[in-house]
Amino acid sequence: MFKVKFSLFAHTKELERKIDELHDKIIEISMVFKKAVHLFLQEKRSLNYRQLSKEIKTIEHDADILRRSIENSLYAQNLIPDFRGDVLELVENLDKVINEFDEVAHQLYLENPDVPETYHKPLEDLVAQVSECAENLAFASRAFFKDFSAVRNYSKKVYFMEHESDKTAAKLTEEIFASNLELAHKLQLKTIISEVADIADLAENCVDQLLIYVIKRDI
Amino acid sequence: MVLSSLLFLSSGLFLGWSLGANDVSNIFGAAVGSKMIKFRTAALIASVFVIAGAVFGGSSTTQTLTNLGEVNALAGSFMVALSAALGVYFMAKAGLTTSSSQAIVGAIIGWNLYADKPTDLSVLFKIVLSWVLCPIFAALIAVGLYFALRYLIKKMRLHILRQNEYLRVALVVSGALCTYALGANNIANVMGVFVDTISFEGFKIGALALGQKQILFLLGGIAISAGVFTYAQKVMETIGSHLIKISPFTALVIIVSQALVLFMFTSPFLKNLLSSFGLFSLPLVPVSSTQAVIGAILGIGLLKGGRGVNWSVIGRIVTGWLTTPLIALIVCFVGLFFVENVFRQVVFIP
Repeated sequence: MFKVKFSLFAHTKELERKIDELHDKIIEISMVFKKAVHLFLQEKRSLNYRQLSKEIKTIEHDADILRRSIENSLYAQNLIPDFRGDVLELVENLDKVINEFDEVAHQLYLENPDVPETYHKPLEDLVAQVSECAENLAFASRAFFKDFSAVRNYSKKVYFMEHESDKTAAKLTEEIFASNLELAHKLQLKTIISEVADIADLAENCVDQLLIYVIKRDI
Repeated sequence: MVLSSLLFLSSGLFLGWSLGANDVSNIFGAAVGSKMIKFRTAALIASVFVIAGAVFGGSSTTQTLTNLGEVNALAGSFMVALSAALGVYFMAKAGLTTSSSQAIVGAIIGWNLYADKPTDLSVLFKIVLSWVLCPIFAALIAVGLYFALRYLIKKMRLHILRQNEYLRVALVVSGALCTYALGANNIANVMGVFVDTISFEGFKIGALALGQKQILFLLGGIAISAGVFTYAQKVMETIGSHLIKISPFTALVIIVSQALVLFMFTSPFLKNLLSSFGLFSLPLVPVSSTQAVIGAILGIGLLKGGRGVNWSVIGRIVTGWLTTPLIALIVCFVGLFFVENVFRQVVFIP
């Protein structure tokens, strides 16, 4: 028996699903990243950490495939022609946030830095803040596709968490440089902290653009 | 005989061609310019529906023009249509808002003056009133529709992609309705003056029987379609992407407003319905679709706070109400003199 499936909006539904999945990937990668950093601080470059790092890599890879597929569909099916550029830019920026998570996780694996125990708590706080920032970015971006009024609420949270993460990162860097660690060690830790804080900065940039798109699109 | 008839008809066909190139572009311009609808799709829809509107709904407005002046010689009809076409051409060349509806009225009055026939002032008043009401109604309808559709879209919380696809379908459907209304309303400008002066034999294809008037309107409709296919793409792309930036949502509001206004001045059913309720009865008159579009855009512009509203446009519309018929009147009067005295053609029967 042949089953002929016909739907006027079949392509649109498929693309909606992909965009939703890309948002899921941001939430997923931020949660796995939080878990990975916690594990790294306990076990450093252990087999378990390697496992989580690989998981992060897989999420990033899947997100790349999704991004490319979304971009192709938007052009090939001539969808939202007046608005395509903005959506493409948004998708690219969401992908940058995902890439940054992967980069930090990989950096920890490669460099295997020695993080003194006194810095574990503030570093975990920083990771929690940037992860929350990224998660709220995913919520804001998802809302952008369906409910403009909610974008502002989530954006507020992103701005707040980014500001918090900036403060945490600055305080932690200050403490590290005030310590008796070797200069090279201090610089290594500072680079990692700054990379982690960059995740929140990228999320903030993305939200800035989102709010402009909302103004442009709002009827 | 047929060949000479077609030769005289050429001025009306030319007017139809320019109507297709300009007025149909106003309907689909924003949708094609923003790439929501492909030009070929728009042109095909426009052609089918403009012809259908002309053939099946074109009688009502023609009657009003006939009441204004019953042109009774073929050469006279030729000159009336040609003067209207030239009036539109001169006005467009001068960069002023113009309309074939206004030009044809001026040309008919020119014929009345030349033939020493009386002009029914009550009919003329109704026609001029419709010109003023057309952009005002379009603006009011556009504002109401804008509010209603915006509320609906926000309430439904559709995904942007889904919203966009619905918008695309709505643009196609409303564009089809609007071109039907344009064909029904404006065919009188193109072919109205030939109704009493040219004769064709009717024919029947299956259940579809076309009388003389319908054949005339079919030819006019085909001329409008030719205008769409040969020249409208350029105009549409200019409207949609260079001249003014209109979002697909605003485009939908404008098209629906335009369609409703055209129906209001075309539909005998609506006229009878309003009369039966003792309400103001709208005259069935060819109106300017361009001015309906401008009215709708101005309405939305005012709704958004009046920023970016080009007030000189209103001045140009009012100027058009006076100058377009005046130019057509003068050209028609002078032209009739030449056709009668130089080419020795009968331009009126006393």
